[in-house]
Amino acid sequence: MWLYEKKLEYPIDIKKKDLTLAKSLYSQYGGPDSELAAALRYLNQRYTMPDDKGKALLTDIATEELGHLEMIATMIYQLTKNTSIDELKKADFSGHFAQHDNGLFINDANGVPFTTSYIETTGDFIADLESDMAAEQRARATYEHLIDLTTDPDAIGPLSFLREREVVHYQRFKELRNYYLENKIQKNS
Amino acid sequence: MYQYNSNLEYYNYDNNNYNKPLYTKDVDKNELFDPYSGLIRGTMFKNLYNSYRNNKIIEINPKNEKEQLQNILNSLCFSVIDISLYLDIYPNDKDIIEVFDQYLKQDNAVKLEYENKYGPLFVNSLINNKYPWTWNKGPWPWEN
Repeated sequence: MWLYEKKLEYPIDIKKKDLTLAKSLYSQYGGPDSELAAALRYLNQRYTMPDDKGKALLTDIATEELGHLEMIATMIYQLTKNTSIDELKKADFSGHFAQHDNGLFINDANGVPFTTSYIETTGDFIADLESDMAAEQRARATYEHLIDLTTDPDAIGPLSFLREREVVHYQRFKELRNYYLENKIQKNS
Repeated sequence: MYQYNSNLEYYNYDNNNYNKPLYTKDVDKNELFDPYSGLIRGTMFKNLYNSYRNNKIIEINPKNEKEQLQNILNSLCFSVIDISLYLDIYPNDKDIIEVFDQYLKQDNAVKLEYENKYGPLFVNSLINNKYPWTWNKGPWPWEN
């Protein structure tokens, strides 16, 4: 089970409104390589990991990704707070406003709704871990694009943190994959 | 034909060594940052630190006493999360378990101090027994 901890993994305090950045951040909220896709992918794959190392790592990284989903939501919330209709129109946010007002919605930066086809599971732990490594790389690249889209240190701080977490997760998945290959670990069912 | 030019700024980004097992040469994989330095970099492990372009490290500037304590708590909590991912794969690393234990104890102590001053972090915190109910009190984490 999960228990909520009433704090963010890394503090977020964005003072400057930026609707364009908020729109781009939706890539990591409901996009193919979003924090949501990552969390669900690892949670779903952990059942077919061959040993305790894999079950633990996927559980713990998935849990952290849920915290990252909360960080992205927080950034979007703070970047869009108290916006006027005129500002929404200028930032091409009117489509979102028409459908969701100020509510968050799980879609990507172009408004494409989240779909579970983003979540890869083969039941083959090597294939799954390699897809996880690729997912971390894609998310790292996305964070780099997002960092390129802003000059606000209040946004760059959390984005750099999240980018580095992708680097670390990638490394841990790779270490686990290498351990399985080097030790010729077999599927247990 | 495309010419590789190692002097181009692009090729000097630290993150171009992405596929090497260790990112920073000559750094022991067991060499750790202190919790705050780890939090602002996003990793406790010196060999994994890999900044984007030449971006400066962004410091966290607490505005008041609450944020100051929160900063210490965030740092310790982060060190515990990050080191535990490592230990999931290297459960026999005694030295790292000792460091983990040290941060875990500090994390628990600061958590207690924070909760006593600013309210429960978990619905099942020991301190979540006040009248009237305090769990539902804001600001919630996304509010600034």
